[in-house]
Amino acid sequence: MSFWEYLASNYLEVIGYTFEHAVLVLQGLALAVLVGVPLAVLTYRTGLGRAAAVNSASLIMTIPSYALFGLLIPLLGLGTAPAIVALTLYGLLPVVRNAIVGLREVDPAVTESARGVGMDRRRLLLSIELPLAWPVVLAGVRVSAQLLLGIAAISAAVNGPGLGNLILSGLSSAGTPFAVYLALEGILGIIVLAVVFDAAIALLTRLTTTRGARA
Amino acid sequence: MPENGRTDTGPTAEPMIRLEQLTKRYPGQDRPAVDRLDLDVPPGEIVVLLGPSGCGKTTTMKLINRLIEPTSGTILLDGEDVTRADPDALRRRIGYAIQQTGLFPHRSVADNVATVPRMLGWDRKRVAGRVDELLTLVGLDPDTYRGRLPRQLSGGQQQRVGVARALGADPEVMLMDEPFGAIDPLTRETLQNEFLRIQSELGKTIVFVTHDIDEAVKMGDRIAIFNAGSGIEQYDTPERILTEPATPFVSEFVGSGAAIKRLTLSRVGDVPVPDWPSIGQDTHRDERAAAVRAGAREFLPLLDADRRPLGWVPADASGDVLDRGLPIVTRIGPGDSLFAALDAMLAANSSAVVVVDDAGAYRGVLDLETILSTVHTDAGPAVPRPGTVATPGTV
Amino acid sequence: MAVVSEQGAAPAAGGTPGPGTKGPRARWATHLVRPAIVVVALVVLYLYVSSRQLDSIERRSLNAAYILSRTWQHVQLTAIVSVIILLVAVPLGVLLTRDGVSRFSGPVLTLANISQAIPSIGLIVLFAVAFLSLPVYAIAVLAFVIHGVLPIVRNTIAGIGQVDRSVIEAARGMGMTKLGVLVSVELPLAVPVILAGVRTTLTITTGTVALATFIGAGGLGDIISNGLASNRNIVLVTGSVLVAALALLIDWLAAIAEDNLAPRGV
Repeated sequence: MSFWEYLASNYLEVIGYTFEHAVLVLQGLALAVLVGVPLAVLTYRTGLGRAAAVNSASLIMTIPSYALFGLLIPLLGLGTAPAIVALTLYGLLPVVRNAIVGLREVDPAVTESARGVGMDRRRLLLSIELPLAWPVVLAGVRVSAQLLLGIAAISAAVNGPGLGNLILSGLSSAGTPFAVYLALEGILGIIVLAVVFDAAIALLTRLTTTRGARA
Repeated sequence: MPENGRTDTGPTAEPMIRLEQLTKRYPGQDRPAVDRLDLDVPPGEIVVLLGPSGCGKTTTMKLINRLIEPTSGTILLDGEDVTRADPDALRRRIGYAIQQTGLFPHRSVADNVATVPRMLGWDRKRVAGRVDELLTLVGLDPDTYRGRLPRQLSGGQQQRVGVARALGADPEVMLMDEPFGAIDPLTRETLQNEFLRIQSELGKTIVFVTHDIDEAVKMGDRIAIFNAGSGIEQYDTPERILTEPATPFVSEFVGSGAAIKRLTLSRVGDVPVPDWPSIGQDTHRDERAAAVRAGAREFLPLLDADRRPLGWVPADASGDVLDRGLPIVTRIGPGDSLFAALDAMLAANSSAVVVVDDAGAYRGVLDLETILSTVHTDAGPAVPRPGTVATPGTV
Repeated sequence: MAVVSEQGAAPAAGGTPGPGTKGPRARWATHLVRPAIVVVALVVLYLYVSSRQLDSIERRSLNAAYILSRTWQHVQLTAIVSVIILLVAVPLGVLLTRDGVSRFSGPVLTLANISQAIPSIGLIVLFAVAFLSLPVYAIAVLAFVIHGVLPIVRNTIAGIGQVDRSVIEAARGMGMTKLGVLVSVELPLAVPVILAGVRTTLTITTGTVALATFIGAGGLGDIISNGLASNRNIVLVTGSVLVAALALLIDWLAAIAEDNLAPRGV
């Protein structure tokens, strides 16, 4: 039985896990943006704030994923919940770092003249700073996405969803002819998702960036 | 009047902007950035804040719309104390244009110009009309430029849009920080002239920051010269700054070209034109020859029946020259500057130029000696007096 | 696994120092934060574990001999994998920037980007089930080296690529040979980037080695796995804290090395 014949026999299962994997990563990414961008907005103005935000996020990044899952299980139990929280935490660093860079790259002359014509802080942030920083934020999201797609494979080890389950099935059927196929299906599924996510975020960047803010 | 922005030459009208004892002190610095500054800006005038870099002129300007909050002192806008007013509302009443333009790069030209009108809640139609009006005013065709992005414009066009945005909701007061600074000299000159034209129509009250004395003299109705310690050395009209520098600092800052700069400010109409006889066209050839030879002047202008100058008649004229005179290259009107008159003399290789009134009728002849003595009496020893004056002629 | 290489993360920064860059004093303060966190975490963990009555299953994982052996395995495996990665990746990266070979650098970089998406757990499992005859230890080394090489190749290429062309031209203009330029100009100037690559390698590898437990190759991941399998949170947490502490410690040492080994003026 070749790999393709095997895939034809269990493709529904593969599609199911791929879908789970994608949804898991999407949730982590969305939460990372929802937490990371406000965090950047709150901290980017002061050197101390920036250092605190970026150093905390990179501290999390230093913790190996298997250990972080292990630390979250006593708090959140097994399954999807620790996976989403872990992915959110790992997704933070690129988002926070890029959001800070993006906000700081806004030309001071632009913000000064926005204030000079009487824009208040909120309007300045929403209509000038964030739109200008948005492409940089999305570049961070793109990096996060690639990272999270890989890390999400480990969530299967804590009974979480996603393509990691195919890889671990391969491991548990070691010695059978299908073991390699299962592991390959898991890996290829993640690579396909990586390509799709990358293209989707590139498209999103085009669609949500105003012409003038595009680099 | 060093250290004092009140001026006795000012109009009696209430100032549009009045700064009283305005001070900005940054924590950790022993010297205040702006120290107990008093300044009155009369309505409808361009007041230039001039000084070396780091002299606090930009800080002073930003204190007016409170981009920098004053530590103490009072800002009065049209008689109203705005020192504690809502800064955002205040800034919407004050136009703001800066050297780096600060155009919003992600928004079209039209959206940039519409910023303040939209914040003030104007309806869409009124905003669109205002945008087109302003673009036309600054010399940009609305149909061509409305939809463009800032980076699709040249530097000069960006500055125009910056000025249009500052004029957005027709503010009475405008603050401009070297708005024509970052562009090439030719474009700058064009923009300065256009802006003066716009200002003559709109009559805004403008605070204009520059470090360029020539720009200050050209643009300003009044100039405040700041010293390095952010005090005002002199606050006066450009003429008086050039002719009567109040302090050594001012004369040094104004520089060695003061006399020449002054020539651009004095009008021919303000200078006494020396008595210079003329010859009527109805006179006979012999009478003309006699008149020229009898007079103290070596050339006399020949006038037609409406007293318009036709030509020069030199002392040694004969034949056709006595009939028509030598051609006159340039005529100077009362509104022209002495600089223009001098320029015309140099161009014609002559030491005198014919002055006519607005209708073209003969007013007299302005000679080099008169210009030199004007400069001499007003500006002291700035221009050395030459021993002899060349004769007019050799056209 | 859970470390992002510097290149991809802040493309807008374009090689300029990131927002977290600070002066030397702040840098030392940061250097003190990590060991402090590690020490506090380990002390709290020790007090917590020693205050508890451990059952026999828990005692099997939570004894000094077991923990020390797994830690030693972990450190050993991390060191071997890291050294091999650096021995392969840095010369390969340098080679790919030489004239005549540099045309291959494009495809290699593309491959490096794609390979980033391959999960390390997938690679180690695939190798384990594909090469059943090989010892698990060899499989772990092979999988982790393959997983870690390309990012460092990319780092090295980027490091040498960012050396100012005019400096190289000046060196060549003075009559330096190509090898001379590489040894005395390009490599010294690329040292900071290469050191950053070393740090990344060490940190990533410490993390991926925690996954060696899945194929029975040992390491501190064993304690996490024991905790999961036996449903004993105290074991799970101990394993997780130990892995995290080791990773933070190694990253801390690498950061100090990075700061102090870079040549002056770079």
